[in-house]
Amino acid sequence: MATLLPYAGLFLTGFLFLGCGIRDNNSSRIVIWHQMRPDEREILQRQLSRYALQHPSLEIVDIYKETEELRSGYVIASVSGQGPDLVYGPSDPVGVYAVTETIRPLEHLFPGTFLGEFDSSAFTFFRGHLYQIADKVGNHLALVYNRKYVQKPPETDEELLALGRQLLTRYGVKAGKPSVYPLTWNYTEPFFFIPFLTGFGGWVFREDGVTPNLDTPAMVEALNFIRDVRGKHKIVPGEADYEIADALFKDERAAMIINGDWSWAGYLQRGLDIGVAPLPKISRTGMWCAPMTSPKGYSMNINVPESKVPLILDLMRFLLSEENQLESVRILMTVPTRTSLYSHPDVTSNDILKNSLLQIHRGKPMPVVPEMRAVWDAMRPGYQAVMGGALSPEEAARQMQELALRKIRDMKE
Amino acid sequence: MEKRRLLITFFLAPSFVVLAGVVLYPFLYNVVLSFGNMNLTTIRHWDLIGFRQYVKIFTEPSQPDFYTVFWKTIVWTVVNVFFHVVLGVFLALLLNQKLRGKSIYRTILILPWAIPQYIVALTWRGMFNYEYGSLNIMINKYLGLPAVEWLKSPTEAFLACILTNVWLGFPFMMVIALGAMQSIPHELYEAAAIDGARWWHRIRMITLPLIRPIMVPAITLGTIWTFNNLNIVWLVSNAGEPADNTHILVSFVYKAAFNFYGYSYAAALSMVIFVILLLFSLAFLRTTRATEAAF
Repeated sequence: MATLLPYAGLFLTGFLFLGCGIRDNNSSRIVIWHQMRPDEREILQRQLSRYALQHPSLEIVDIYKETEELRSGYVIASVSGQGPDLVYGPSDPVGVYAVTETIRPLEHLFPGTFLGEFDSSAFTFFRGHLYQIADKVGNHLALVYNRKYVQKPPETDEELLALGRQLLTRYGVKAGKPSVYPLTWNYTEPFFFIPFLTGFGGWVFREDGVTPNLDTPAMVEALNFIRDVRGKHKIVPGEADYEIADALFKDERAAMIINGDWSWAGYLQRGLDIGVAPLPKISRTGMWCAPMTSPKGYSMNINVPESKVPLILDLMRFLLSEENQLESVRILMTVPTRTSLYSHPDVTSNDILKNSLLQIHRGKPMPVVPEMRAVWDAMRPGYQAVMGGALSPEEAARQMQELALRKIRDMKE
Repeated sequence: MEKRRLLITFFLAPSFVVLAGVVLYPFLYNVVLSFGNMNLTTIRHWDLIGFRQYVKIFTEPSQPDFYTVFWKTIVWTVVNVFFHVVLGVFLALLLNQKLRGKSIYRTILILPWAIPQYIVALTWRGMFNYEYGSLNIMINKYLGLPAVEWLKSPTEAFLACILTNVWLGFPFMMVIALGAMQSIPHELYEAAAIDGARWWHRIRMITLPLIRPIMVPAITLGTIWTFNNLNIVWLVSNAGEPADNTHILVSFVYKAAFNFYGYSYAAALSMVIFVILLLFSLAFLRTTRATEAAF
């Protein structure tokens, strides 16, 4: 008996640790992973508390994860048979989740009448299957301006440059820097460059939707344009990542900023008198600068057992309900996905929301294919090098294309 | 005797299970994975493909180039550890003297070590900003020199990472060196003083040889930690910016695995790192004879 004791202890400890790795299939506990900002999270938690009151036997846990951690952590967890019941975020990783078979198709889980209540932009399809239903649509960039400096937002690139020169003259230079920068945006993330690319007629993929299309005249022209905006017209700061650009605008050291719908409520809460306008048109091409748009919504883990699916669907219905979407509209000024809300006074009477809808209408949906990841990573070095003056636009475009092809090949090898 | 052995086994069993679970199993899994083809498309149905990932690392072009990253990792490690040790030992020597307010200096000097790495890295990143960073403001205002584009140029961005890590790492070596110095019997210094040895001779002939057995394992650890320090490079340079030019091997592995889902490639690369560090540690410990007794 004594000789068995150590082995019994060993097995007991082993089982204890094994227990930590097994997915919690407890049907009275629902776990949601998301990447919501604090203000969005607050709303989610309020909504979940309301739901919990109606379902006292349920425990609902929401766990915040940073964008990258959510994406890679979710894939790894789900492949190992674990992970949350629901994963919430923008639509761009849906392709990755679908390819790795970590989320389940939703088209047969909801009746057509329910799905018919949504705008088509709420649905993210991949290879013919519905994988995500959104409660918000947009996640898009627009031109945000401080009314203290700008009364009428520019509608073309020429107007933008003229306004920039005017603001530089009006507010002067202090210690070698403009007292007020006419415009600012994030120079490190190519997501912020997309509107310029589309304004010159370019797009990230060829018509097949998966082959990168980066070494093009449109790309070279767009890179030339932003390089001149910084180097020749000097209407933007010498260096700006997201935090710097955001801080400049919040401190009223920048008159305009290109930023996404996630930031607008924060500017208003800070007491800034802002307006939101669609991004300007490029006069030479006659095309609007079109940002990428994407819905933000819920996908279901492939590992959710059949017995638990009805519970998850009921929670999804609640979270996607009109009442809950309206709460986000009022507090965060996000664009809802339920068509009934498009005529709601809270939407139609709000200038920011109206312009936001117009910007979405002019925007282009963000591709959800996994290749997009390689394209972002291939664009980033070139974009940064052009803004830093280290590469010519022609060379940057060539390198972006080469790199994107190589990264896509690496992803599949 | 048999009972005693059983008792030892019983007490050791839980730690063995824990080690097997958190070290041995992941290590063996990583070895197997490095011979496979697991990536985004094959994550659920991957196969063993032999040495192909290793061949790819050493022979196929990558972005960034493996050999460039390897060279940068060597520079990163050597420069960082050199300054950690030199600054650490120098400050320990100062703190080992009779000083007024010694505990205050000691507390201040340990601060970089006490602050979480993430906060340090992001604070330094802000300080390196071209227009609003405190470093450029000082360079411009007090030295009259032009502002440096710290985070835009590859060399400057890499230097920015090194500066941050030097600031972060010297307190560890200082604490270790100070502890080692305080364990040296004072009589040795008294005898040397009677023999007419000057300050530098006492340092060279007594302090340095006697702190060596403690410093060598600390340097070995410091080298491994620095070689594998993902946080600083990742956060200061914002994931290898500009243009993936500030990567060291470990950030390169992280990007390959978690941004590009090249799990097997990353596993093979991490095996290469493991072998490099294993060979270094064995060679360094053998050459410096660190395990031999000092007294």
